[in-house]
Amino acid sequence: MREEPGEKRVFLPDFTQKLTGIGFEVFIEEGYGNSLNFYFDNYKSDNPSIHPLEREEVFKQDYVLILRSPHDGEFVLLGKNSCLISMLHYPTRPLRQKIMGENNIQAISLDGIVDDFNVRLVENMKSVAWNGLEAAYTQFEKYTPNLIREDGSPWKVLVLGTGMVGKQAMESASKLGKKERNYEHIRLGGPGAVVTAVGRNITHNKSQMIELLAESDIVVDATQRYDPSKPIIPNEWIAYLPEHAIIVDLSADPYTLDSKPPVVKGIEGIPHGNLDQFIFEKDGPNWGKTIPQSIPTANKRKTISCYSWPGIHPESCMRHYGQQLLPLMQVLHKKNYHTLSPDGMYFERALFRARLDSYLKKQIKR
Amino acid sequence: MNKTSNHKITVGLPLMYHEQGEKRGFLPDFIYALEKNGADVFLEHDYGSGMKLEASAYSDAAPGVTFVSHNDAYQQDIVLNLRCPSDDDLRKLHPGSCLISMLHYATRPERVNLLRSLRLKSISLDSIKNDSGNRMIENFRAVAWNGLEAAFQTLQNTYPEPGFFSPDRQAIQITLLGAGALGAYTVKAAVHYGSIPLHEKLAQDNVPGVIVTAVDYDITNHARIMRGLLSKTDILVDASARVDSTRPIIPNDWLAYLPAHAVILDLSVDPYQQKLGKNYTKGIEGIPQGNLDKFVLFPDDPAYARIPDYVRKENRRNVVSCYSWPGIHPAECMQMYGQQLRPIMRILLNQGGLNGINPNGRFFERAIGRALLSKIGR
Repeated sequence: MREEPGEKRVFLPDFTQKLTGIGFEVFIEEGYGNSLNFYFDNYKSDNPSIHPLEREEVFKQDYVLILRSPHDGEFVLLGKNSCLISMLHYPTRPLRQKIMGENNIQAISLDGIVDDFNVRLVENMKSVAWNGLEAAYTQFEKYTPNLIREDGSPWKVLVLGTGMVGKQAMESASKLGKKERNYEHIRLGGPGAVVTAVGRNITHNKSQMIELLAESDIVVDATQRYDPSKPIIPNEWIAYLPEHAIIVDLSADPYTLDSKPPVVKGIEGIPHGNLDQFIFEKDGPNWGKTIPQSIPTANKRKTISCYSWPGIHPESCMRHYGQQLLPLMQVLHKKNYHTLSPDGMYFERALFRARLDSYLKKQIKR
Repeated sequence: MNKTSNHKITVGLPLMYHEQGEKRGFLPDFIYALEKNGADVFLEHDYGSGMKLEASAYSDAAPGVTFVSHNDAYQQDIVLNLRCPSDDDLRKLHPGSCLISMLHYATRPERVNLLRSLRLKSISLDSIKNDSGNRMIENFRAVAWNGLEAAFQTLQNTYPEPGFFSPDRQAIQITLLGAGALGAYTVKAAVHYGSIPLHEKLAQDNVPGVIVTAVDYDITNHARIMRGLLSKTDILVDASARVDSTRPIIPNDWLAYLPAHAVILDLSVDPYQQKLGKNYTKGIEGIPQGNLDKFVLFPDDPAYARIPDYVRKENRRNVVSCYSWPGIHPAECMQMYGQQLRPIMRILLNQGGLNGINPNGRFFERAIGRALLSKIGR
């Protein structure tokens, strides 16, 4: 993945060994894994089915597996019969979808692989929430040892959104973002955290929200908005947060004012972070770099934001994804993009739903 | 129980004889899937009648199905029953056969011993887990939504002036004990009043919504904080999974801090029981246990008399409790379980039964492997 230097994730040697066990020949881009101190020998491990290859050639294989989507200009590298497997986010990336369509690209979007109940099979929502809250509590811990305050009061966390990420955020917030830290906190008689969650039927209510914000130590944006062109917390409401409060941006919607509809962050006027920088001091030099000028920013609080939260702990993240992917790769060894059936077995049906073709046909029906 | 060339695996599905309100049975399309995968299926007479399904609904879907007596349904290679059968019924299974049911090994040691002494094999539905440790046969969503739906219906009648439906009332305050898997579903259900139509109606009428405050088990040791929370709580929900079930999270004394109109919702449904000299209690001390026949329990309900003497129960509020929350909407529940169970049964039947399952094999085999009685330490 050619992303920011902080993006270190690669599939692990154990995963590629298992792919060969399924029957795949595996071709690895030169230098793959170096970010995690893995080298070709770690992947090869005397396995005759694992080979090094240049990037351009890797893109010509039957399946091209890359966690984050290649950049728009790289789609032309894909072979005519190759199938790209990646987090492609069809619904929110119309431009990418258009380029793939124009290039007749066969693609399976990892975030579109869902079971019969529409539950994603390749996801790491847990890491999104836990990594974000871990970072926030760590900031407090710098000046509050063991997170025990002098007045003995519990940490108050306000979670906006009650979907998949919101649910995980509640659990991680209640456990201080890290179980080990929570155990120690309990052992020392700490009061823990009180976590309040609200959905749409409260977030629109200004007076209620101001009351909640005024007593929050941490505010978490875990929303999925119907209308991403409007923030949930306008910048002026941030003024009601205590000075020491931290904003945690788990939704990580980017500012894309030129898209239709335009997209702004759920909490207005906060920066958009990535794996290189995800902690933003309110008077820090990079505060405004990612915020368009037309966005109000008068009110600021320390903000934690990252486009790829699971990437903070790259190895455990990739172990997790590898485990989720293996049964799907078993199906893809027997079938291909064109022979996947909506009436096949459990994993085959899930893969079928994630094909670009399936997505586009569904859109046309709508 | 292995399938041979001349023996098809037989699957028995007895009726569940629990409270009258227990109406669930697997649906015809699931029975068809069993048959399609090579099983001979034996249903107890009247199977599905609780959901108003005629025998013909099953025989139309799965022509090979045979209706048999209660005893005969238990005499098959595999016996599939959502809730664990009574001890008497367990004794009807023949040694070596396989029981598939919600067996809750961890909290039912006597049951584990009985299954072993009867030389039965078993797969506990609640222990079938994927590689990430997530349950694959579960209906937490129904537990949360059905429970919250009932709790809000009760609160509508108890809520003080200006009334539950008034745009002038305060936001509803829910205090949630437990932020784990069940708690997560509870939050979503709670902010939607446990009912999408009710949620839409109240939103349309501009009635203030719902605020959910979750506390992990540990904060509940801090009485001062908890009392503050309880005093402004409209619905108190127990969705906890306690490590030590001999200690309540909310002692009965604390219930006095709840407003008089408050409703207590018991989603964890931990039992009161005495085992090996220990007294086990519910997470909220002194609330009664409901079931599918009666799950709304007022402070003068006779169910309080069934609470063991070692439990304090002086402080009371309206309680909503049900041992089998998903069973409130039986057909939807069984649709869900059937769909979740189908790939498990397919691999079990295609592998010729339990002996053909490799606990280190493919995804669903590994999942089954984690749920075997033989996996439980002695």
